[in-house]
Amino acid sequence: MADHPNDYIKPELMACCGAREIRDNDVVIVGTGFPAMSANIARHTHAPGARLMQESGVYDAQPARPALSVGDPCLNPGAAMIGGLVEVMGMFLQGGWVDVGFLAGSQVDKFGNINTTAIGDYNAPKSRLPGSGGANPIGALAKRTLIIALHNTRTLTERVDFITTPGYIDGPGAREKWGLPAGSGPQVMITNKAVLRFDTNTREAYLESYHPDTSVDEVVKLTPWKLNVADDVHETEPPRADEIRALREVLDPHRMIRIYEKRGYV
Amino acid sequence: MGKVMTTAEAVQQFVSDGDFLFIGGYICRPPFAAIHEIIRQKKRDLTITRSNAADDFDMLIGSGCVKRFISTFISLGLYGLARCYRRSIEKGIPHRIEIEEYTNLSLPLMLMAGALGMPFVPVKDMVGTDLMKVKAFMGENKYRMIDSPFDGSPVMLAPALKPDLAIIHVQQADEEGNAQMWGIGGDCRWGANAAKRVIVSCERIVSRDTVGKDPSRTIVPSFKVVAVTEEPYGSHPGYTPGFYDVDLSYGNMYKEASNTVEGFQAFLDEWVFGVKNREEYIQHYIQRFGYAQFKRLGAKFDYGYPVSYAY
Repeated sequence: MADHPNDYIKPELMACCGAREIRDNDVVIVGTGFPAMSANIARHTHAPGARLMQESGVYDAQPARPALSVGDPCLNPGAAMIGGLVEVMGMFLQGGWVDVGFLAGSQVDKFGNINTTAIGDYNAPKSRLPGSGGANPIGALAKRTLIIALHNTRTLTERVDFITTPGYIDGPGAREKWGLPAGSGPQVMITNKAVLRFDTNTREAYLESYHPDTSVDEVVKLTPWKLNVADDVHETEPPRADEIRALREVLDPHRMIRIYEKRGYV
Repeated sequence: MGKVMTTAEAVQQFVSDGDFLFIGGYICRPPFAAIHEIIRQKKRDLTITRSNAADDFDMLIGSGCVKRFISTFISLGLYGLARCYRRSIEKGIPHRIEIEEYTNLSLPLMLMAGALGMPFVPVKDMVGTDLMKVKAFMGENKYRMIDSPFDGSPVMLAPALKPDLAIIHVQQADEEGNAQMWGIGGDCRWGANAAKRVIVSCERIVSRDTVGKDPSRTIVPSFKVVAVTEEPYGSHPGYTPGFYDVDLSYGNMYKEASNTVEGFQAFLDEWVFGVKNREEYIQHYIQRFGYAQFKRLGAKFDYGYPVSYAY
């Protein structure tokens, strides 16, 4: 049984949950924050052959500090290859080479659709958000997508106001109908309360595991759709010692991950 | 006829009201010297585009220069939502711009199509989402769906984009405009080559011989270029690889300033209208924040192994 230090914070647990979804030799497209940390934890533990790229054009960067954006200057020196969007989003992602992509959003629904465009009516929005950027193509074309979300009834919703990025769209068969790659789609939704997985028949997110300080009841209550619970629902495995070591000693010695606590990931 | 000129001359000569501009950059290399000059010269009714827009686009929108924006994304990065952009869309201040929404796959491919002289390009994203439902000034020409003539599968076709003008900032160029860039590219190469003409802003003008020492780095050939402007620190507060880092504290200052209309106006008065050109801007920066902070932005030199093209 692996050793589990008990002084972790919730964003560290979430980063580890993300890491466990990555397999050795996966090609992973990452942004900043959780995705980069998850992918790098995986590289330092069970998936040393995983390789990362940023949509801005960078492959296998060796950043000397945590990147603050996908265009961060620290991604340049030491990278194995630098091109641009046509290379990474076109040749690699649309070309079918990307195994894993990470997504996050202001609104996420039960089919794993994500809204980063506008809250409220598109033509008279309550809040105008940045737009798709690389999210739509990653959600459409990566073989597996991992969704990071805040677990509350504002972020999670039965149906997003605007589908910027496709999850399973309106349910079974929709991705196939639109010609998206066979077998692609959201694999898991990692929140600050739980890990939700997507039912292969209904395409709805269901509860796979709840984090150590919460319960099935609390997670169900915080989820605005009728959340199905796995027969073998269990507590999420806390961060293992090797995962925490990779995170704190190698990847994030200044523990910048703490900013996610301020953003509500507690 | 020489192409080397000041940014003010280049903007005056080659940017017209109503033009469609590609503006290169991706946190790295936004052509800020030209952005500020466009604002100073009060250009109006522009259509602007690039993938992943940031503070430079936000400033143009807040300054009232923009009518239309072919967008994939706009934010202040670390500092969150783009304030002027939000005010434009949510409150119509200074006016509501029109937006056509694409993605960081489709838009670069549309620019690529423009550069390659193709009328349109098939794209595999966007389908099935609400990005299909929202159409603005491009109307039905935002995209078309067809059944592939080869296998019958549904395919989205997106139109080629051919901007009137591209403005890019690169590390170095020669006097004829052969422009050399390295580091994160974004959609700069394709956007520049899609445009009918190009203004090249650069950190330094070098000789044609220097360009010839590493010609693989040239992203735009001289015959497309109408103006070359030498603007050291020309993409500040963004960065240029090998020259200087992102200026995070300035980014924070812009975020705070642009929180309100008055703050944004004060920012323009100080940093755009209060200076004549980039040189004065840099001098003002040094006076305001000190030479030490200015020097801290400078990159350490770490030259690679020199390449040889000999035979």
